[in-house]
Amino acid sequence: MSAAETAVTQNASLAEFDRTTSRWGQLTMGVALLLSLAAPLYLVLSTDLGITASMIWTAYLAVAAAFFVLWFVEPITYYPVLGPAAMYQAFMIGNIANKLLPSALVAQAAIGAKAGTKRGEFAALMAICGAAMVHVLSMLFFVGILGTWLVSVIPTDIVDVARLYIFPAIIGGVLVQLIVTMKQPRVTVIAVVVAALVLFVLVPAVPALAKPATGVVVLITAVLAWFLRSRTATATPTTLVN
Amino acid sequence: METALTPEGLSTDILAIANLPVLWVLALGVFGAIIVQSLVYMKAAKKAGPAADISPEELRTSFRAGAIAAIGPSLAVVLVSIALLTLFGTPAVLVRIGLVGSAATESASASLAAGTMGATLGGPDYTQAVFVVAFMAMSLSGAGWMLATLILTPILRRGDTKLRRVNPALMAIVPAAALIGAFASLGIAELGKTPVHVLAVIVSAVTMGVCILLATRTSATWLREWGLGISIIVGLIAAYVAHTSGMAPAA
Repeated sequence: MSAAETAVTQNASLAEFDRTTSRWGQLTMGVALLLSLAAPLYLVLSTDLGITASMIWTAYLAVAAAFFVLWFVEPITYYPVLGPAAMYQAFMIGNIANKLLPSALVAQAAIGAKAGTKRGEFAALMAICGAAMVHVLSMLFFVGILGTWLVSVIPTDIVDVARLYIFPAIIGGVLVQLIVTMKQPRVTVIAVVVAALVLFVLVPAVPALAKPATGVVVLITAVLAWFLRSRTATATPTTLVN
Repeated sequence: METALTPEGLSTDILAIANLPVLWVLALGVFGAIIVQSLVYMKAAKKAGPAADISPEELRTSFRAGAIAAIGPSLAVVLVSIALLTLFGTPAVLVRIGLVGSAATESASASLAAGTMGATLGGPDYTQAVFVVAFMAMSLSGAGWMLATLILTPILRRGDTKLRRVNPALMAIVPAAALIGAFASLGIAELGKTPVHVLAVIVSAVTMGVCILLATRTSATWLREWGLGISIIVGLIAAYVAHTSGMAPAA
């Protein structure tokens, strides 16, 4: 085969790889999306709990107000690192920054492939497949089987207390972790001040704002952080939550 | 509490509905989708390997390296997930915390949703109805990430430079502000509850601070991954001791 013919076969085979991975990537992610929505929908429809559509919409709006910026920002941020095929894996498996990216980097280092090359892309893809298998198996075994058993044998008074305080026990750690990894002291101060003012001054004065309070905090913080930003510091990309 | 709820909706036996067999089947289906995807991808990578200048041997090495590197972080997620089992039941935890989302985003979503029902996540008013609404809201929020990925990936692939040319300062500041704003708001809201809630927030925050400090000062980088799990456990232990020694208001 001449060099030109080899190049043509190579391109054809890479194009086929792109086609296969994006078709199956979209298909499997679409299935996961539908299945993940089907579970709560089943509970809403099959149980007689008196849940109304307006309750769901109110709850959804409160959550969306807090997170909708991230829905779009995270995929755009991770795309250059992950490449198209791995995008469909990453946003289904989760824990991208703390698990998938390190796995991809280790694999690229192991075979001496540079990020941004085809070799690098393939190494990252295989690494994420490896990480996915480990993760799926450990979740099924340790959480699905052992965890369920563990909860059934722990005395109920401990379970009740744990349930009561699990959220404050999560949020304290998450907040500190976030502030440290973000390294945005100015934004942090703005966020804390805005949150305190909204929750302890504005909401008591205007009780109607109690439900969308977090959305209000997010909005005011984002606007203030933008207008009060340091014009001298260079922008560094943000580490995200998923 | 909304008056439309039926007496069944006011039951606080969350696990009675959270562990229904149908939910297990749907959760296993999501795991199945991930496994199928990985198998298809690996086969495609093997086939196109020569064109990408990567040998089957190197593909295997990459798979193994990725798998080994994921063991620590995966087990750290396991610990956090187990802590959340009593709140959401196993199927919801497997899908929401183990896969699509993370402990941080999903418990935040659930707490926000419970708030709109006039309830506290895990509190005495955390009824079956509140759980179902919270589960629905988390799943819809998680769907936001997946939909954005499904819509944006083909656009980014076509090399649409408009999206990438978004002002870098905007991309650095607005997401950070949105994230810190959301979690600061949720954290500070906990400080308005009982003294035990305040204690749990502070102990967890301090534990995380110590973990991060030790991880940077020493070579114990694993503390970064395990920080959240350790903070939750220590925070819960402190809350349990305080609660049982009578710091909590009488129920």
